[in-house]
Parts: sequence; C-alpha cells; structure tokens
Amino acid sequence: MSSEKINSKSENKDFLVHSSSLKDVRSFSRDVFDKFNLSQDLKDELVLAIAEAAQNIVKHAYQNEETQDKMEIRISLKNNELEIGFFDKGRPVEKDNVRHRKIDDIKPGGLGTFFIQQIMDAVVFKEGSKPWINHLVLTKKL
Amino acid sequence: MAYKVTEEGNLATVFLDGEIDMDKTEEAKELIFPHIEAGKEIHINLKNVEYMDSSGISVLIESHQKAMEAGTKVTLKEISKSVLKVIMMAKLEQILNLD
Repeated sequence: MSSEKINSKSENKDFLVHSSSLKDVRSFSRDVFDKFNLSQDLKDELVLAIAEAAQNIVKHAYQNEETQDKMEIRISLKNNELEIGFFDKGRPVEKDNVRHRKIDDIKPGGLGTFFIQQIMDAVVFKEGSKPWINHLVLTKKL
Repeated sequence: MAYKVTEEGNLATVFLDGEIDMDKTEEAKELIFPHIEAGKEIHINLKNVEYMDSSGISVLIESHQKAMEAGTKVTLKEISKSVLKVIMMAKLEQILNLD
C-alpha cells in the first residue's frame, strides 16, 4: 500500500524499500514530470537521478535487507527550482563515506552517485526528523 | 521475461530489452558471463533497452573487463538512444566497444 498527496507544485509517494519498487519509483517520477511539462531529455535525466537515489537507499541504507519499511519521495517545484526529497529509516548515512566514481576510474561501483551529481545542481544529506533517519535533498534550477 | 541469446560459432549475441535496473542485473550477468568465461566473443544488443541505470552500466563494464581478462571481446550493438546517453554520461564511450 502507498499513500499519495497531490497539489499543483508538489507530490509525494511512499514505496516499499526493495529493488522491485524501483520501477514504480520511475513511473511515479515520470508522471510528476509530465505534469510539470518538462522536456523529454530533462525528464529522462531526472528520473535516472531519482532512481539512483532510491537504489542507494535499498543498497546502502538497508544493505539489500528484506524490510517492510517504506521510503518517501517528495518532488516539488517552486520558483523554477526543483527539489526532490528522499526520506528513509535505514542506517544513518555517513556523509564522508558517500563518494562517487572518479572519471578515469573504470569500475562498476559509485556510478549512481556520479550520475546524481552530474544531473543535479546540489546534493545535500540531512538528518531526518522523526520518524525518518535520513533525508536526502536533490535540487536543480530549471 | 527471459532475455534472448543466439550463438553462431564462437560468437554469442545477447539481446537485452526493457528496463535494466538492479532488479534485472543478476539475470543479465548469469546470461552473459558464462559465454565470456567460455572464451566466446559477445555481442550485447541494446536496441530494445528503453532504460538503463548505473546497475546496468556496471554489467557492461564488468562484462568488458571479464572479456579482456579472458582474452576475448564484448561489443555493444544497436545501442538505443537512452542507453547511449547514459554511457556517455558515465564517460565510457571511449572505454567500451560501441558499434
């Protein structure tokens, strides 16, 4: 089950923390960006950034463990600035351990964070307010 | 849905399709890696892949690296626009064999 609240500039939805939810995360994001009338190229990039951040919650905050916990994604558009918030109750993110791949380092890991930083203007990890543990904020000026 | 594979002599062609995310990567690896380990040349056809994230790109990188170690080659064929965009974002167009 998921809950969804909609207004003209902001939407949010929660998802089971599991790799099988990533398809729904992409679908939700595409629907929101359709309503925001964004270009296809920008939509594709933003959907990728959101899916990568959600994947990081599954892989890192929960280390792929089975859980019934939900993560929440909030997408808002204010004054031409897009803000995407991710809330989860997994292990606290150690900001110093969040590294993206170096450009000339050809290995499979760290690509997701690299993509997020390529696509978004800012990536900020915050401490979540109860009941959340982690609150990630991605922003981009449109 | 299972991915399709064709074999002709020493060449195996793996046809990936749909959306490749972390939920699909094990299936892709299980299909690709045994052919590389058998020393076959691999073509990965990406024509019908509509979406690929970092997990999918990691499969392409790992396949490329395994093939080099095994003395063979992985070539990406008919790369869809959306996958090419992600490969370029990862700055891998000079590293992976694209055709």
